[in-house]
Formats: sequence, structure tokens, C-alpha cells
Amino acid sequence: MQIQTDVSPKKRPKKSSKKARAKKKTQAEQADAHALYERAVQDPQTDAAALAKLYRRVRKRQAKLMREDFCGTGSLSAQWVKGGKDRTAYGVDLDRPTLDWGLEHNVGPMSAGVAKRISLVEGNVLTQRGPKADITCALNFSYCCLKDRKSLVTYFKNVRKNLAKDGVFVMDVLGGSDTMGPDENRHDLGGFTYRWKQHFFDPLTHDLRCTISFFFDDGSKISPAFEYDWRLWTMPELCDALEEAGFASTHRMWEKTDKKGNGTGEFDEPKRVENQESWWTYLIAER
Amino acid sequence: MAKPKKKNSKSKSKGKGRAKPKKKSIATRADKHKLYQAAVQAPEADVEFFSKVFKDLRGRTALSMREDFCGTAFLSCTWAASKKTRTAFGVDLDEPTLQWGREHNLAPLSEAAQARVQLANGNVLDGLGEPTDLTCALNFSYGVFKTRDELRRYFEVAREKLGPDGLFITELYGGFEAIVEVEEERELEGFTYIWEQASYNPINHHTLCHIHFEFPDGSKIRKAFTYDWRLWTVPELREILVEAGFSDTKVYWERTDDDGDGTGDYQVTEEEENQDSWLVYIVGVK
Repeated sequence: MQIQTDVSPKKRPKKSSKKARAKKKTQAEQADAHALYERAVQDPQTDAAALAKLYRRVRKRQAKLMREDFCGTGSLSAQWVKGGKDRTAYGVDLDRPTLDWGLEHNVGPMSAGVAKRISLVEGNVLTQRGPKADITCALNFSYCCLKDRKSLVTYFKNVRKNLAKDGVFVMDVLGGSDTMGPDENRHDLGGFTYRWKQHFFDPLTHDLRCTISFFFDDGSKISPAFEYDWRLWTMPELCDALEEAGFASTHRMWEKTDKKGNGTGEFDEPKRVENQESWWTYLIAER
Repeated sequence: MAKPKKKNSKSKSKGKGRAKPKKKSIATRADKHKLYQAAVQAPEADVEFFSKVFKDLRGRTALSMREDFCGTAFLSCTWAASKKTRTAFGVDLDEPTLQWGREHNLAPLSEAAQARVQLANGNVLDGLGEPTDLTCALNFSYGVFKTRDELRRYFEVAREKLGPDGLFITELYGGFEAIVEVEEERELEGFTYIWEQASYNPINHHTLCHIHFEFPDGSKIRKAFTYDWRLWTVPELREILVEAGFSDTKVYWERTDDDGDGTGDYQVTEEEENQDSWLVYIVGVK
């Protein structure tokens, strides 16, 4: 996860530096990009429940050890271990400061009994070994930072190597016509506004460049707070690469809709669906 | 074609026009291959583009061309007729379509040009014929290969059947409108051409498309042609071409004028913005 820490440029104080010091910090200056990200983008409780359910669907029993690749602040790992006394989590991320933030804010407040069941490890998901997981997840589309197919297959092979014999790999997939061009959406989250912006999509490479920014009531902003330089992998490409990496089978999930066409949060495995402007879903691979 | 029956003036039929001889509709009289060629193909532009690309990349004039999935071999015939030293080898699975091509596209050529065209009823995976300077697979027909293994195998065969400095040229369509269910109409002389994307499945990128023709008298040929494809993406095709042994790939994108309309001029590119609808040539360099 890359973080841009600079905020909107400060005005230079005209006279006394004392006056400048007294100046109240902007909301952006006081804000914590990781905390805002967790509030705006993540829903670890729902994700943890969904992962447990997807595993049960495939294996008819409960998963215990979860590995979270690209774990960032490890909020999902933290939620996972809170969900059961026999659960452990192993999070892997490249970025030390982000892991440290997670250790302080997500693991620190836990009781010792819970905290000892979570490990957040600095490492490269392409090569990092670890305990054999029942379920490994790569969420928030982070695997899209792997832009060539060889790297993607190498990553999938490493996932497979570190899964238990009957382990299951779950990733999320983003798609739809609106994801393949410039687009933006904003959400007022009370106290700040979250903006997702797709700056550029190249149909020749499927390169997708996007940012997350935060805007505050006092006019200050953190923009961009996070930058992504991705390849927008398609569902069949991911399945082909998983197969090449040795996975035995894949399940292409899709969110069920109610009569009004709204997502219900329930996923099944239809053979055929209609494309939408924008969708995300889960892809499951059995080791 | 049966003659229309003469009107029987003594008919007791009251229904207006009921006794009238039924004139055959335009659809009944139409030839779907002729309509297809008029609506979809522009072989002269293809020949011009292929000639330019080969000259640019290889520094000489391309002479022999293989047309995979050649259908009526409209392009093969146009290629062979474009220069006295040019030969064409067309391959298609469907004998009746080839036969139509022999009658309508090949027969009108000079005897000498006819002698430079060979049409083979066979599978493009079998690598029939002699190696050529150019091999082309146009009109997205390779979309019938729905797995990477099948498509790679086809690209491997295509590469093997190229001469030492040969080029493989194919094309692909895409854009926001390519991945949704949509029907688009184009008015042409004497008929309307309708391209229907009946389904597009984002789970596997399988798409089912139809070509329909409609005529001024209200008659129609529904589903004149039906395609059941995997709509591959540009990066996938480039990766699979390289896996099949091609040393390099190039993508040609259509230049637009100030109004944003296509000019028919295709140039090599590495970065483009997505559009509602686009068509690219992809070249595999042996």
C-alpha cells in the first residue's frame, strides 16, 4: 500500500512565525490516512464472515488459519481472530510502516490471548513462506499491482504452496464497463468525503491508474492519499492463471440480487450473468 | 425460382389481396454472403494495410498470403488480383461458403489471377499449404478458440506456416459497448445491417452475436450469421502470441480526425484511452 503523506500546501506566514505556530492545524493535517481508509473502504467484519462462509461452502467445515496477503494494516486478520478462539491469522505485506500502524491500532488494543493468534509479517507475497493456511485471501484487488502474467502466476504458485492440502484461495475481482475508463465517485462519510477516482484505463494493456482521496469540511484534503497503478485483470484471465499455477478448480461467484435488482450480500455460482456498469465479486480456487 | 402465379380474376376470395400472386420478398431473393461482403468486408483496405505493414517491418513487398477462416475468400481474391506476383491460399471449414466464393469472387478474376488463388476446405489447425509471407485471421473468427491452450495451438500453427520473415495479422474489437448486450443498425444500399450482441458473460467473456439483415419491404433475414466466441482482450492476445513463439507483437490503432471520427489510417501505438467501440490490428512478428 502506498501512502502519499503530503497535504495541501500551507501558506507561508507573512509576519511573525509565532502567529503561524498558533495557526490551528487543518483537518487534513490532523487526519490519519489509514484510519480514514479503514473507515471508507474496509468492512473487515463482513469480509471475515464472507470468507468463513465461502470456505464452508467449499469444504463443509470451519476454516481456522487464515493468511491475508497484501494485508496492509491487518484489519481483516484482526477481525478474523476475534471471530473464534481456535482461529489464527497470518498477514503479509511489503510495507513496514503500514504493518506498524496495524500492530499499534488493530493488534495493540487486543487482549494478549487474542493478539498472540495474529502475526503480521513484512514480506513479499510472491515469495513469503508461512504456515499452511486453510484459507488465503487477497482482497481489495491488491494483486492488480502484479502487471505481467508471469508475476501473477508466480504469485498464485506461492499462494498454493502455502495452503493446506485442502486449502482454499479467495480473491475479489473488479469489473464492468465503468471500470474500463475514467470515472469517479464520492461518498460523504460524516466528517470527511471519500473519493475514488479512475484516472486512466488503457485497453491495450488493461493498465488502470486510480487514486483514493479524502476531503474535509474545512476545505483541506489529502489528495491523493493512496495511488494505485494496476492491471485490471479479468475473471477468465485470473482463472486461466490459477489453473496454470496448479489449482484444481475455480468457482466464479456472483452476488445474488433481490427483486429490485439490489445486491443481497449473498453469493452463488451462476454459469451466466449479464454484465453491469460496475461490479465486484469473489473468485475461489481450490488447491 | 418459381414463377409467381397469375392472378385469377374469378376468384371468390373476399380477402383483399388474398388471391394476388405472392411476390417473393427481398429477403427470400437475397444472398446472405453478398450482403455480408457489402456490409462487413473492405478487402481493398486490408490489402493496402497489409502491404504497408509488411513493407515497413520487413523492407520488402509481401507476395504470398494465407487467409485463415477465409469464408468466401473475398480477401484472398482481392490480394491475388492486386499484383501479378501475389498468391493467396484460403482455408475454411465450410465447403458451401468456399464454393460460393469460387463462383462469385474467384470466377470474375482473370485466368492468371485465378491461378494464383488456392482455396482449401480444411481446419486452420492442420497447417495446410506452403509457408507464406503473411497470414491473416480477420473478422474475429479465432474467437471460436475459447481456451488459452486452443488459441496458443492455433497461433503456433500460424507461426510455423510463415516464411522466415513472415507476419501474422489479426484483429480485435473492444470498448465499453463491446461488453454489453446491444444491437446496432447500419443503413446500406438496399438493406439494413444489424449487429446484435445477444449476450456477453463477464464471468468467462463468452459472447453470442448475430448478424441480421432487413429490407425496405419489411422482410428480414434474422440470424443470417451467428457467432459463439470468447471475446479475448488485447493483452491476452499479445501474451499468447509471445507464448506461441512470436518474437514481438505490435498493435495498430485507428487515427481519428478533429471530430473524433476514424480516418482508416492505422498506426502503431503503445498507449490509448478506451472508447465506446474500437477495432485494432494486432501483428505477430515471427
